[in-house]
Amino acid sequence: MTDVAARPTPSPQVPEQAPLLEIEDVYAGYGGDDILQGISMEVYPGEIVCVIGPNGAGKSTVFKAVYGFVNIRKGRVRFDGQEITHARPQEVIQAGIAMVPQLPSIFPQMTVYENLEMGLFLERDKRKIVERIEYVLELFPRLEERRKVMAGALSGGERRMLEIGRALLIQPKMLLMDEPSAGLAPLVTRTIFQNIQRLNREIGLTVLMIEQNVRQGLEASHRGYVLELGRNSYQGPAQELLHNPEVRRAFLGGR
Amino acid sequence: MPFLQALLNGILVGGFYGFMVLGFSIIWGVMGIINLAHGEYVMVGAYFAWALFRAMGIDPFVSALLVFPVMFVVGYVLQWLLINRVVERPHLISLLLNFGLSISIANVYKLIYTADYRSVTVPYSGSFELAGFTLPTIKTAIFFAALAIMLALHLFLQHTRLGKAIRAAAQNKEAAKMVGMDIHRVYAATAGICIGLTAMAGAMVAPIQPISPFMGPLFTVKAFAITALGGLGRIPGALLGGLILGIVETLLTIYVPGVGAKVGTAVSFILLVFVLVTRPQGLLSGLRPVEEGA
Repeated sequence: MTDVAARPTPSPQVPEQAPLLEIEDVYAGYGGDDILQGISMEVYPGEIVCVIGPNGAGKSTVFKAVYGFVNIRKGRVRFDGQEITHARPQEVIQAGIAMVPQLPSIFPQMTVYENLEMGLFLERDKRKIVERIEYVLELFPRLEERRKVMAGALSGGERRMLEIGRALLIQPKMLLMDEPSAGLAPLVTRTIFQNIQRLNREIGLTVLMIEQNVRQGLEASHRGYVLELGRNSYQGPAQELLHNPEVRRAFLGGR
Repeated sequence: MPFLQALLNGILVGGFYGFMVLGFSIIWGVMGIINLAHGEYVMVGAYFAWALFRAMGIDPFVSALLVFPVMFVVGYVLQWLLINRVVERPHLISLLLNFGLSISIANVYKLIYTADYRSVTVPYSGSFELAGFTLPTIKTAIFFAALAIMLALHLFLQHTRLGKAIRAAAQNKEAAKMVGMDIHRVYAATAGICIGLTAMAGAMVAPIQPISPFMGPLFTVKAFAITALGGLGRIPGALLGGLILGIVETLLTIYVPGVGAKVGTAVSFILLVFVLVTRPQGLLSGLRPVEEGA
């Protein structure tokens, strides 16, 4: 596969401006050989960006590097004008990046409302807690209806919305999502992506997500990055990637 | 109506059992740790009440209130210094650690107080009549105190920040860390509360139970049996399990001639074995494998 131009095409929706998240030539790993071997990525304010690639390409490691769960050996990460290359997870959260992990992160025997309360565990101002929870419940009418229901009784899609809602409580500037479609039925996946797009339109939420579900993930995104063996392989507008013959052959089962 | 009287006696004992087991059940449910030193904390509470009663004539129910903060601190510190170090390791390690603790505590108490049996004789050790039933005063008082404490614990777990953190940590440890909880502090507070409650149970039971340094293991076995019957980490389950054990024990003692009080103590073993053989997941499927919840 050949390298594509380093400068990403700005999405049509996004005017030319400074990137919100800038990952620059990052090398990182878990102590042995580097998993990431010079990854670069940019996410502009108001964009939905999808990261795809085969297993072992280092997709999740990119997230962990941003979040401070793995050590960055070389390269830099900047967010919103601030250097966060070696920031600890707590500092990354404070900088304005929220994360929805791939594994279930709800508390099944607590109500929807209590789950949201737990999302602001470190916030002591009760009025602020209530305000933010009500704000999130407004964004997700389905959760509002079920606020007193035990989270364990929610459907898979509702749980994922609860996880997204809980991440939004800290009013992040950007949301990292590790496989929002994991474990969900195709129809439910569509609903989740529709909700991500809706939040992107309504509150200008910037999203960087990893997806195995390449077609739906790219269709919901403005731009995409293809990673392979810890390096950038392709990048460009999502529509372009969807029609790129190499990408189609590798990920979409097309010719 | 001797049957109803026996049933009533069983219920009174069962209420105490349901309270006595809470600490064991919650530590297991929240941290996945089987606290083999559980009975020793009952013993410590009983000695606490005995010592205060002998020295100053303090009522065991007052001692129960006093012993909670003391043993809360002990439980918090033990968890913080020792058990938190092994809480993420395989269960055998925490099991052995608690086993070692139980032996150490019992023997330290034997050194201090000798192995002689002690008793606390309160002035209200009789009984009273109500609606044709005979109610032993102390057991009735323990029963209602136990219910009140369970209610208080329930409200604490449901409505306070720490209570919610304890529930959250039990349900999804990784998510609890993710939202910013210091899981080791939550565990330490959980252990403090549980060990404080267990010692309270010991202080309350002091007037009706011979006190010795080696009274602990029987309570630990009963805690196992009640947990197998009622499930882990839930107050209603603990109460249900306690009531079943209390009623079965009492009825067997009364209705099976010749075995008397001797088999009474073996009942919990028999129930435990019976439940584990027929329903290894616990009577109400409450005995989930410890690691799975994470």
